[in-house]
Amino acid sequence: MTDMRSAYSESLIQVGKDNPKVVVLGADTTDSLKTSKFGKEFPNRFFNVGIAEANLVTMSAGLAVSGKISFASTYAIFLPGRAVDQIRNNVAYPSPFGKKGLNVKLVTSHGGLSVGPDGGSHQAIEDIAIMRVIPNFRVLVPADTIAVSKLIQLMAGEYGPFYMRIARSKTPLIHSESQEFQIGKGITLRDGSDCTIAACGITVRMALEAAESLQQEGISCRVLDMFSIKPIDHKILEKAARETGCIVTTEEHNIVGGMGSAVAESVSESYSVPIKRIGVQDMFGESARDKEVPLLLEKHGITSFNMVKQVKEIRSKKL
Amino acid sequence: MGLNYYQIKKNILRARKLVIKGTSAAGSGHPGGSFSMAEILGCLFNNHLKFDPKNPQWEDRDRLVLSKGHAAPGLFSNMAVAGYFPESEIETLRKFGSRLQGHPDLKCPGVEFCGGSLGTGLSYSVGIALAARIDSKDHHVYTIIGDGELDEGQVWEAAMTASKYKVDNLTAFLDRNFIQQDSYTEKIMPLDKILESDDVSEMWKDASRWKTGDKWRSFGWNVIEIDGHKIEQIDAAITKAKMTKGIPTIIISRTIKGQSLEHMEHNPQWHGQAPNSDIVPIINLELDSQFMISPSIIAGDMTNLENEVKRCVSGKADYVHLDVMDGQFVPTKTFDHSKIKELRPLTAIPFDVHLMINEPVKYVKDYIDAGSDIITVHSEVVDESSFGEIHDLLKQSQVSVGFSINPETELPEWSYKFLQSLDQLIVMSVVPGKSGQKYIEETHEKMKRINPILKEHDFSGYIEADGGINLENIGSVFADGARAFVGGGAIVGQQDVKSAIKAFRNEVLKSRRRGLLDKANELGGIDLVNRWIGLHVIEEKQDELKKITREAGYL
Repeated sequence: MTDMRSAYSESLIQVGKDNPKVVVLGADTTDSLKTSKFGKEFPNRFFNVGIAEANLVTMSAGLAVSGKISFASTYAIFLPGRAVDQIRNNVAYPSPFGKKGLNVKLVTSHGGLSVGPDGGSHQAIEDIAIMRVIPNFRVLVPADTIAVSKLIQLMAGEYGPFYMRIARSKTPLIHSESQEFQIGKGITLRDGSDCTIAACGITVRMALEAAESLQQEGISCRVLDMFSIKPIDHKILEKAARETGCIVTTEEHNIVGGMGSAVAESVSESYSVPIKRIGVQDMFGESARDKEVPLLLEKHGITSFNMVKQVKEIRSKKL
Repeated sequence: MGLNYYQIKKNILRARKLVIKGTSAAGSGHPGGSFSMAEILGCLFNNHLKFDPKNPQWEDRDRLVLSKGHAAPGLFSNMAVAGYFPESEIETLRKFGSRLQGHPDLKCPGVEFCGGSLGTGLSYSVGIALAARIDSKDHHVYTIIGDGELDEGQVWEAAMTASKYKVDNLTAFLDRNFIQQDSYTEKIMPLDKILESDDVSEMWKDASRWKTGDKWRSFGWNVIEIDGHKIEQIDAAITKAKMTKGIPTIIISRTIKGQSLEHMEHNPQWHGQAPNSDIVPIINLELDSQFMISPSIIAGDMTNLENEVKRCVSGKADYVHLDVMDGQFVPTKTFDHSKIKELRPLTAIPFDVHLMINEPVKYVKDYIDAGSDIITVHSEVVDESSFGEIHDLLKQSQVSVGFSINPETELPEWSYKFLQSLDQLIVMSVVPGKSGQKYIEETHEKMKRINPILKEHDFSGYIEADGGINLENIGSVFADGARAFVGGGAIVGQQDVKSAIKAFRNEVLKSRRRGLLDKANELGGIDLVNRWIGLHVIEEKQDELKKITREAGYL
């Protein structure tokens, strides 16, 4: 098991070494997100603004408009939650000289229900939906630390606003070190012909386990890591729709407006097939100790067991 | 270097007219808040900001962040005057396809910040300032914040952050005009001592209530408090702010929403409303009719001129008029440049220096170095060549150029070519040499001869009336076209200079109101006259206007 926040921290120091334009901003969560290590390495390029998310975002924009590459971080519940206006009007909207938005990267941790004991007030289940509707933003949800590292490198190198959500809990490795990542391209982790599970974040592992179980029962299930929610990979989805005839999506986010919605929107406009969205059922989360997190996820159907069940059901609805 | 006073003043006037043109053409927009910060932007654009309109992305430029983004017409107008785009483009304001969006936008090269959502500009500016520090750049960031914006918590987040990081390459202006969209700030969300009485004018009249500066001081800021419509105070505050190291500075500028137009001043209705096109010519006339009072200190105690300057300052004079007499050009002798140099540290109020001396071309540099802001020389002792020399030297030194004619002198023909760039023309209404003389009535006729010449030669400066001006004649002198008024015995000779200046202003205002009503009547008869009167809803101006209208026989 590896820790996404550590991977984020190490990647930041790496991009900071590679590019002196990289600056990092935090809001009193820099130990938790481990960005304080960047501050130790580059004290004049690191700013802790205190518990002030609005200021965090707008200052990042001011640095970015002056040529810096700003990485701003805190928990997903506060960013975007506390600073949507600043994200929209100070980061996404200003478009200098034909560029789209300012060069600000918002990286948040503690996304979704797996936050655990802090409870519903801290479990961000709307952040993807909020960020998806803001023009010029790209939205990423990596599944493991390899993805985190590679995506930080990509974001640092590519101009424009990004939102990336990482998980609080430790996660197993899904990808190999040699896996290539491209913004806007999904990754086929397992091929299959009877059904597709499109997953992101910590649910990718569950999707792989579900596909393995289905294999035991003779059902061939494709698994896609849809880490790039916006832009979404229309091609890989259309191909999955045509070749497997049905899609189950899974994420630890509200089924309204999340990755599942993005997949449904895409597929309905390319090659319409039955879709089932697994995720938070338009309700809030609640406290669960770390070892109880599986129970909380189970309450919302975010388990490999439920994925197996939903795949079987949706296959019967194939056109 | 002088204050560049009239140049700034003229550009502010141009910008104000463009605000009216743009918002009127758009049918919406925010003239009130554009006018309250007009002098601030005028000083920044003309005297302080480093920028290059041909290269808006010049790396070392100063940054101007208009946090109170709704005042976009004010920003765009100054940018047009500064040469970023043609002034005619202001008519595209708020229209489809225009670079001049309803709120400042990076779509328009030279704009640094997409304003609109209030309370965010200071955070953004802190980011810019920190980026400059990382890059070891020495450009400065200026941020204009509205007072309504201080309701936003983010402003205080940014204030703390600027303090923490000792951001001294940033200077904020608070445009303290006491009005926000719904009503007066002190009714919506008080910034000063809670207002107990119903008299809202206490907000801007009772200085003992003002506590906004304390808030900023407690956040660790260097606070400078000024009258935000006084060019010299703004200029001095910016200079001080830039010299202050290790701490951010805010210049709290007490301003008047809609400043320069009586019907807009202090009126919340003009926060977000554009003037109708039919009143625009009256508005433009009012903008052309701004005036200054210039007390002449030689009318006071010649043995204590320091005290006379102080009386001018506490009396809220616009200029200090300094009559330099050499005992040759005029029989009397007063003082020379060394006295002016001594007096200079007493105030930032522009020194309006009137040289009644022979061969001014020989001495003008001494008067520049002494700290004069306006220098007027007499036509009788210069010719085309020596005046040309004086003119160029003054312009290079950012000192406004004045030219004066004695009662028996006509405007010499050789001077016509200078009229376009001349800042001030003094038409003497007494024979110069001593104070206490009577106004020469023939001057009214003389003004009738001079005005068409000035118009023909594109004179864009200000006429100063000097000699025997008092409460009885100042109104008619204003009507003749004078916009600056030297007051000797009638001001400095009075016990209470402040009241005397106020009385002067009131008389000019009466005359100005009459002129504007005449204009309304000329353009639209009694309907327009009544509409014009109806716009004046704050304080007792309306009754005054009705009285003038009755006297004029329009009602």
